[in-house]
Amino acid sequence: MTGAARSSERGAAHARVSLAGMLVWGLIALGVLVMAVPLAMTAYISLFRDAVVIFPPSGYATSWYARILEFPRFGEALGTSLRISALATLGSLAVGIPASLALVRYNFVGRGVLNVLLLSPLTVPGVVIGLSIYVLVVETEIATEVPLIGSDLVLVVAHLLITVPWVIRLCVANLVGLDRSVEEAAANLGARPLTVLWRVTLPMMRQGIVAATLFAFIVSFENIEMTLFLIAPGQTTLPISVLQYLEYRVDPLVAAVVMTQTLVIAGLLLLLDRYVKLSRIVS
Amino acid sequence: MSQARGLTAGLLIGPATMIVLGALVAPLALLARYSLNRYDRTNFMIEAFTPENYLRFLYDPFYTGVLWTTLWIALLTTALCLLLGFPIAYRLARSQSRWKSAGVLLVILPLFIGSTVRALGWMGMLGRGGLVDSAVAAASPGSSFPLLYTPFAVVLGILSINLPYMVLTLQSVIEGIDARVEEAADSLGADPSRRFLHVVLPLALPGLATGSVLVFILAMNAYATPLLLGGARFQMMAPMLFREYAVNNNWPFAAAIAFILMVTTLTLTAASSAFVQRRYKAA
Repeated sequence: MTGAARSSERGAAHARVSLAGMLVWGLIALGVLVMAVPLAMTAYISLFRDAVVIFPPSGYATSWYARILEFPRFGEALGTSLRISALATLGSLAVGIPASLALVRYNFVGRGVLNVLLLSPLTVPGVVIGLSIYVLVVETEIATEVPLIGSDLVLVVAHLLITVPWVIRLCVANLVGLDRSVEEAAANLGARPLTVLWRVTLPMMRQGIVAATLFAFIVSFENIEMTLFLIAPGQTTLPISVLQYLEYRVDPLVAAVVMTQTLVIAGLLLLLDRYVKLSRIVS
Repeated sequence: MSQARGLTAGLLIGPATMIVLGALVAPLALLARYSLNRYDRTNFMIEAFTPENYLRFLYDPFYTGVLWTTLWIALLTTALCLLLGFPIAYRLARSQSRWKSAGVLLVILPLFIGSTVRALGWMGMLGRGGLVDSAVAAASPGSSFPLLYTPFAVVLGILSINLPYMVLTLQSVIEGIDARVEEAADSLGADPSRRFLHVVLPLALPGLATGSVLVFILAMNAYATPLLLGGARFQMMAPMLFREYAVNNNWPFAAAIAFILMVTTLTLTAASSAFVQRRYKAA
């Protein structure tokens, strides 16, 4: 083979590679756009001055953010959302952390089955969970004549069902990675089991617990599919009131509402990221 | 001693188990019973033991059509998530830049932001009088180009919500692949496409399967996106189930839809996991 032929062959290979490289960069750009465009668009609309969305807008203003609280439907819904999510988060930690300790630190009959059972709510569609809890609540109401639909109790229990698996999943992953010998050393030095739990195990689980708290709160706060079946008039969560509003109109007000919510959540996450590496938690 | 430990484990895991049994297993059992009841216009529901709700779904082309639409939307968005997610995940995983953690964080943030935020952005982008429509009208007066309320809008909406999940799953898997394996392939003369097909792809296959199952389930159960971006004529399973429950008050049929949706999703995900596991063992 002559040198010229070889170099032209290499040139062809090089051109093929850079074509493939361009294709890959094109795919990357497309993927980033698909993720970023809707968020950027919502942020943009929230700054329109007029109440209608037309392009180009007649002017820009931040006044919609200040006016959010004038609309009680969003204020009340936010209150309900925060109340339900806070209760569900606390409850899921109280129930989920002991369960993960049992799953990792104890050996008992049926552990494998319970492990699958406790994580199973994550694989059942939200609308199916919502409808099934609703029919059970209706049957219970008929049997006991206690009004339950739309009550905090039902909403919190339902939200526990979807938050507990996350707490267990994150705490189990955290516990598996912990060095057991520290706990054993404490026990050998005479610490009683509860002292070991309180002074050694729980502090070592800090990262997992923080991650679980965050996940539980957000999973509960953002839930639409299940909650949809369990709300009552006057007892609506924020994402559902936004959804119902969007079915009829899109305007800068509702964009400002969701942007506020987004910014608060992003702020919490950034704050959290300084203490625990989020990327390690999620994947 | 071991009995005491068993008791402790039972106390630790008991509450979580009670929640899953009480809020998932019992309601699903009741819903299964409901799905065999008969609907009646005046009494709403009559006790019965009939498969007619399931047969009605399976023999009515409208309902099977909705199931097919849901399936192809879910499969298409899963494929697009793989196509767009892999290059981003690969770049992020192999990046040495100090912007890497910022990039990972930018992919994580959307996970915590509700689907309504993304839907709102796409509505402003694609709707009548939206950005695209206005741009087209400005370019050629009199013409309009509303993309909202089309399957395209729904695919785009679901894609923008599910893509971050895929990117994160793939990124953690690719991080786990030793970069030296790729360098070895490189120095043995494999060009980038061969290196990708014969080295990276087989090693990343379990991650591709995990990510695909995750985004497939999310797409099958999507509620807000098809409702807001698909419009009244476009039907997917989750919104249809809610309508049967809320508008038509046909609980037995809604229950049957719930089980058809759940069984379809679980069957397909189990089948794909089994398929990948066999391929993986053979390879």
